[in-house]
Amino acid sequence: MKTVCKFAVLTLTMLAVTVCGFAQDAKVTAALNLERGVTGPVTTNLNWAGYSALNLIPGAGLIPITSKTTAFYLGFTAGSTADIGNMVLYTTPRNSSTISAVTPVTYGGVSNPSINLASKTVCAVQPLSAGSPCIVRLDPLTLSLSALSDYYLVVYFTANDNNNSAVSATVGGNVISSLTGWYIGSDQTRLTVGQSIPAGSNGNRPNFLMYVMTN
Amino acid sequence: MKNFCRLATLALALCVIATNAVAQAPATVLSNLVEGVGPMAGGTTSWAGLSELDLIPGSSLLGVKSTSAFLYIGFYGGNTVDIGNMVLYKTARNGTTVLSGKKVTLGGVSNPSINLTSTSVCPVQPVSIANPCIIKLDAVKGALSSLNDYYFTIFFTNDGNNASVLGIGNMSAQGSLSGYTVVGDETRIKTKGALPQGYVGGAPYFLMYVANQ
Repeated sequence: MKTVCKFAVLTLTMLAVTVCGFAQDAKVTAALNLERGVTGPVTTNLNWAGYSALNLIPGAGLIPITSKTTAFYLGFTAGSTADIGNMVLYTTPRNSSTISAVTPVTYGGVSNPSINLASKTVCAVQPLSAGSPCIVRLDPLTLSLSALSDYYLVVYFTANDNNNSAVSATVGGNVISSLTGWYIGSDQTRLTVGQSIPAGSNGNRPNFLMYVMTN
Repeated sequence: MKNFCRLATLALALCVIATNAVAQAPATVLSNLVEGVGPMAGGTTSWAGLSELDLIPGSSLLGVKSTSAFLYIGFYGGNTVDIGNMVLYKTARNGTTVLSGKKVTLGGVSNPSINLTSTSVCPVQPVSIANPCIIKLDAVKGALSSLNDYYFTIFFTNDGNNASVLGIGNMSAQGSLSGYTVVGDETRIKTKGALPQGYVGGAPYFLMYVANQ
């Protein structure tokens, strides 16, 4: 009986260790899509100095995956350095244009980064092109996207900046995505709660924004 | 000590039962790995000598855990389909360079002939747009990653049978799948080779669903 007992305790311990191991594996799973992202080969859109790219992430398009974090991925098809003036995420009620929250978005801890697209540590495949776009992951936000809200990621590219004149955006190659976008020739990242999202959203393919993922 | 022993044995038994239940859970439900196609519109005939490349985008994966993928292809006309080869290419997301390729098989072979007039293959006869024949291909081992794109590529032998084959597709509601057609055998592209041009985001003709079983 004593031997059986010892065996049972040993087995139980091993099982507990194994189950804990599985549980930890589950936590470190790969990043998952929160929305249907851009699919297929992309096209390009050049010269972003002084422009804001506005991208709609619709609550109605959320894949029901629980995540405490949200990561945005931007795509570039040309350029050496992208000088970003500011990045924000606006929240609105679903299908409303009234801003209910403003969240700063950062890359490397700052909301006005210069992204070195010529660096192989940033863009592994050089030179950038439509066939080999450079995908840059912004810092993940500690934010759970809600199906009851819409979200607008707005990226403003510094004006009168030669670097940004040579920057080219990925443009979704087709419409099989939940993401849409448009652009405006001024800084649209300084809006506050209660103001309206600027007009122009007409379901076109997004510029820069490629994926919205858990991490 | 006796009580402790009893408790340990009971806990062990419960643990084994619970672990088995959890382990079995993923296999019980058929789940889409990406959104499949919607209503069928009917495709074009004469596939002899053509390849179709169907994009399964990593950016559209729905987050269903699965260690293998099952591809389903559909037909609504023809007697025998002579497939020359089938392969699943992997590329970087939104990339066009092949990183690797895997054989795709039906009945263990990558060049099957499918008898669409057999009720054991297509239970509802005759095959038509109202009664399409959906063929489940063999499992493709390995999980699909949201960090990659995949191109299911099927080549139809240049023969008389394939002249009358009708793919199910060109659906208006195509889900997350898209495809394009190229003349010739495009199933032999090597690693680091480029996918053929021609992708415009159109609906697939043959690939209908990608599921976990």
